[in-house]
Amino acid sequence: MTPVPGEILEVDGLSAWYGEARVLTDVNLRVAPGEVVTLVGRNGAGKTTLLRSVMGLHRQVEGSVSWAGQVLGRSSADKRAKAGIGWVPDDRGIYATLSVQENLLLPPITSKADAWSLERVYEQFPVLQERRDFPGTKLSGGEQQMLAIARVLRTGSRLLLLDEPSEGLAPVIVQQIGDIIRQIKDQGVSVLLVEQNVKFAATVADRHYLLAQGRVVESRDNDSFQSRTSELLEYLGM
Amino acid sequence: MQRTTSRQTLAVLATAVTGSLVLAACGGAGGPSSGGGKISDGKVVIGLLNDQSGVYKDLSGPNSKVAIQMAIDDYKAKYGDKAVAKDIEIVAADHQNKPDVANTKAQEMYDRDKADIILDVPTSSAALAVATQAKAKKKLFIDIGAGTTALTGAQCNKYTFHWAYDTYMLASGTGAALVEGGGKNWSIVYPDYAFGQDMTKSFTAAVERAGGTVQQKIATPFPNENFATFITKAGSSKPDVIGIMAAGGDLVNFVKQYNQAGMADKAKLAVGLMFITDIHSLGVDQFKGTTFTDAWYWNFDAQNKAWADKFKAKTNTRPSFAHAGNYSAAFNYLEAVQAAGTDKSDDIVKQLEGKKINDMFLRNGEVRAADHNVIHDVYQVKVKSKDQVKEEWDYEEVVKTIPAADAYGPANPACKMG
Amino acid sequence: MPPARPERAAYRAGPKLENNRTAPTTGSHMTAFIQYTLQGLALGGFYALAALGLAVIFGVLGVVNFSHGACYMLGAVGAAVLLDATGLGFWWALPLMTIAMFLFGVLMERLLVQWLLRLDPLYNFLLTFGLTLLLVDVVKRKYGVSGLPYPLPAGLDGRITLGAVSLSTYQVFAAVFSISVCLAVWLVLTKTRVGMIVRASTEDAERSRALGINVSRWVTPVFGFGIALAGLAGVLRAPTGSVTADMGSFFIIILFAVVVIGGLGSILGAVVAGFLVGLVEAYGQGYAGRFSQVFIFMLMALVILVRPSGLFGREEAAS
Repeated sequence: MTPVPGEILEVDGLSAWYGEARVLTDVNLRVAPGEVVTLVGRNGAGKTTLLRSVMGLHRQVEGSVSWAGQVLGRSSADKRAKAGIGWVPDDRGIYATLSVQENLLLPPITSKADAWSLERVYEQFPVLQERRDFPGTKLSGGEQQMLAIARVLRTGSRLLLLDEPSEGLAPVIVQQIGDIIRQIKDQGVSVLLVEQNVKFAATVADRHYLLAQGRVVESRDNDSFQSRTSELLEYLGM
Repeated sequence: MQRTTSRQTLAVLATAVTGSLVLAACGGAGGPSSGGGKISDGKVVIGLLNDQSGVYKDLSGPNSKVAIQMAIDDYKAKYGDKAVAKDIEIVAADHQNKPDVANTKAQEMYDRDKADIILDVPTSSAALAVATQAKAKKKLFIDIGAGTTALTGAQCNKYTFHWAYDTYMLASGTGAALVEGGGKNWSIVYPDYAFGQDMTKSFTAAVERAGGTVQQKIATPFPNENFATFITKAGSSKPDVIGIMAAGGDLVNFVKQYNQAGMADKAKLAVGLMFITDIHSLGVDQFKGTTFTDAWYWNFDAQNKAWADKFKAKTNTRPSFAHAGNYSAAFNYLEAVQAAGTDKSDDIVKQLEGKKINDMFLRNGEVRAADHNVIHDVYQVKVKSKDQVKEEWDYEEVVKTIPAADAYGPANPACKMG
Repeated sequence: MPPARPERAAYRAGPKLENNRTAPTTGSHMTAFIQYTLQGLALGGFYALAALGLAVIFGVLGVVNFSHGACYMLGAVGAAVLLDATGLGFWWALPLMTIAMFLFGVLMERLLVQWLLRLDPLYNFLLTFGLTLLLVDVVKRKYGVSGLPYPLPAGLDGRITLGAVSLSTYQVFAAVFSISVCLAVWLVLTKTRVGMIVRASTEDAERSRALGINVSRWVTPVFGFGIALAGLAGVLRAPTGSVTADMGSFFIIILFAVVVIGGLGSILGAVVAGFLVGLVEAYGQGYAGRFSQVFIFMLMALVILVRPSGLFGREEAAS
C-alpha cells in the first residue's frame, strides 16, 4: 500500500498550558503521508504534551491541529482515534484487567482496508498468540510495547503517535521495533515518534523536530541530523 | 410561633433572624406592659424541646405541640374569663437528641424566649442536660420522653419532674410479668450506650427481684443492622425470654431477624421500651405476642379513646403515650398556675408536689414529693395478632394494669432535693 | 460463649444441652464457628452486591457516590410503598424497583453528575452528599421516621437446618440471590464486548478514549446500572431490616469500608471485600460483641497501611 496523498498532519501555532504554566509555545509541524517524523528534546521539553494535544487528551490548548484535511478543533479523543490516529503512550497503556487478546480486540476498527487481522498480528508477534489469555500486564516490557503497537495496527490507524517506544528495552527488542516502524512506513502509514534514543531515531526517521522549552527550535532531515547529531544534542542540553 | 425547621443551617439562620427581631422589638417599645398581674412578662410560655426530625420524631416530635395546644384549649375552655393565664404561647425547638444542642436550646428558651417551663426532651443525656439548666435558672422542667431514672435519682432537683415513664417502671412491669409467667431464664441484648446500659441494669434487677436469672447480657454496637449472630448467641443458653433493649430502627432490625431466626418459637420476646409507632412501622405480624409495658394506650377505655379521636382529627394519626403525656403535663402545669395565681416557679412546685391526679393520662397518679417522679398505673400489654386488629393503630391488648406503687417502687433514695 | 449453668439441665434437658453442661466442648465451639461463618458469608454476599454498584460507578466515572446509601434506601422504601399502594409484593418489587432505580440513576447522571465530571472529584462527592440529605429529608417528610412495614415473601419464612447449624430461609435466599447477581455481572463483564469496554474504562477512562472508545456513551448507563444495584440491594434488605429514611446513612459507611478494602474501583475487590467484611462482622459479633463493627474499620485501617490502594486496587502512582 502507498501513502494516501491527503493524509497530512498539520500542527499550526499550537500552545498548551497546565494551569498557569505554559508548556508549548506556537508549535508548527507537519507529517506528510507515509513519513516518519521524530520529536527530539530533553525531558520536560513538551514532547509528550504535544502528542497528547494531537490525540485530544490534553485540552488546555490554543492553535490548530488538522489531520487528513479535517480540523480537529475540540473533537474528543475517541473521535480522533476513529479518524485513524493511533496512540501508543509512553507507559504502553496495557490493561491489566484485560487479557492480551482482549487488549488487541478492544479498540474498534477504523479502516477495514488497513486493519491488521488478528491472524496477521499473531503471525508478526507469535509471543502475543502464545500468551493471548494472560493478563496484559503479565507480559515483559518489550512484549507490552509490541502489544501496544499491534493494538493500534489492528484498528487500521493511518497515523501512529509513538511515545518513547524504545525506552527501557533491550537492544535486540529496540531493533525489532525499528523493523516494525519501517514496515508500517512501507504500508503508507505516517508516524510521529517521540524519542530520547537519538541513535534509534536516526535509524527510522525521515525528519526530526528539535524541541526545547516548548518551542520547535530546528527542523532537519535525517541526513543533516545524523551528520551533526552531537552538536545538536549539546544544543538541546541532552 | 414555630421557631424551628428540620435543617440545622436554616435553624441557625432563623434563630439569628428572629433573635434580632426580638431585640429590635424590645429596644423600640421598651417591652410590653404586664397585663396578667402575677404572670411574668404578661404571658405563659411553654417550651417544647424534642426530636423534630430524627428517630424519635414520630413518637413525639411536632405532634406533641398539637397535644400541648389541646391542653391549652382545654384549660381556656375550663376557666374562660377566670383563667389566670390568658396569653399562652408554645415555642418549639429541635434538640436532635444531642445533649449539647439540648443544653443550648434550653438556655435560649429560658432566657430569650422567657419560657416558664420546658416539656418533653427525649434521650436521657439530653434530658439530664436540660435538668441542670432548670436547676440553675430556677425554671420548671417536666420530662416526658426520656427514660433515665437519674432524673429522679442522683441528678434530681427541685424544678425537674418526670412525668410518664422510666426504665425502672418498664423493667418492673415487663420483667416481673414474664418471670411470673414462667420465663425465669433471660438473655438480654442491648445497645452499648447509656440508655441500653441503664435498661439492662433495671431489667436485671427486676428479673432477679421476681426470682429469675439473667444468664447473658450481650452488648451490641449502636447503631447496628445485622443481629443474626447476636441472636444465635442469645439463644445459645436456651433462655425462656430474650429481652431486647434497642429502640427505633435497631429494634425493627432485631425483631425482623429474630423472627427469621425462628426464635419466636423457642423463647418469648420482651421489648424493653416500645412505642405504638414502632408496632405501626413494623406491622403487628412481626411483634405478634410480644410483651411490653406501656405508660398509656389510646384504645384502653372511653376516656382515652375520646382524647385520641380529638388528636386524630388534628393530626390524622393516633397518639403515642408521649403525646398524651405532653398533654397531661401541660394541662396540669396550667392547673397549677391557676391554683397558685402566678407562674412563679417556686409556687408551681409547691402546687405540684404531693398532688394526686386522675386525668386522661394519669390514673391513680401522684406527683411524688420526695423525688418528683410522677407515678401512675401502667399497663402490661401484648401485641395483638393480625386478626384481632379491628382498625388501624388497634395493636395492643392490655393484659393487666400494674398499680402505681408496684410499677415505680419506693422513692429513689439517691435523690437529695436541694 | 459462657457455659450453661448446671441447673439449666434440669430445667430443660436436651441432647445439645448435655454438651454444654460442663465446659463447652470442641464440638460446640466448632458448631458455633460454622454457624458464624455461614451467617458471615450470607451477610457478605449482600455487602458484595451493595458495594458492586459503588465500585463500578467509581471505576468508570471516578465518582465517589455518597448517595449510594440513599439509593439503597429508596429501593427499600419504594418496595414498601409499592406494596402499600398497589399490593405488588417482593417478587414484583425486585425487577420493578431495579428498573425504577436504573431510570433514577440515568436522570441523576444526565441532570446533575455529568456537569461536574470534568472537575475535581470532590465536587461530585459533595453533590451526591447533598443529594443524600435531600432524599432522606424528602422521605422523612413523606413517610415519617419510624419506617414502613415490609413482610417476608411467602415461602421464604422458614429455616434451613443442616445438622447443628441453621439459617433462615430468607437469609440463604438473599445470599444466593446476591451471589447470583454478582456472578451474572461478572459474566457480562468478562464474556461480552460491553463488559470488556466497561472493564477497560474502569481501569483507565482516558486511555480508552484515546483508543477510540466513546466512554461518555457508556457513562450514563453504567451510572444507572450502579444505582440500580443499590436499589436492588435495598429491596433485598426490606424484608429483613428496618425500612426507614435513615437506613442508608450508616450502611454507606460500611460500604465505603468495603470498597476501600477491596480497592476503589475494583469490581473483583468489592466482591471479595464484601465477603471479608461480612465474615469479620459475624465473627466480631460472635466473639467480641459490642466491638464487632470496630473490627471492620480496623481491617480497613490495616489494608490502607499495608496496601494503600486496597486489596485489588491498582497503584495510582504506577509509571
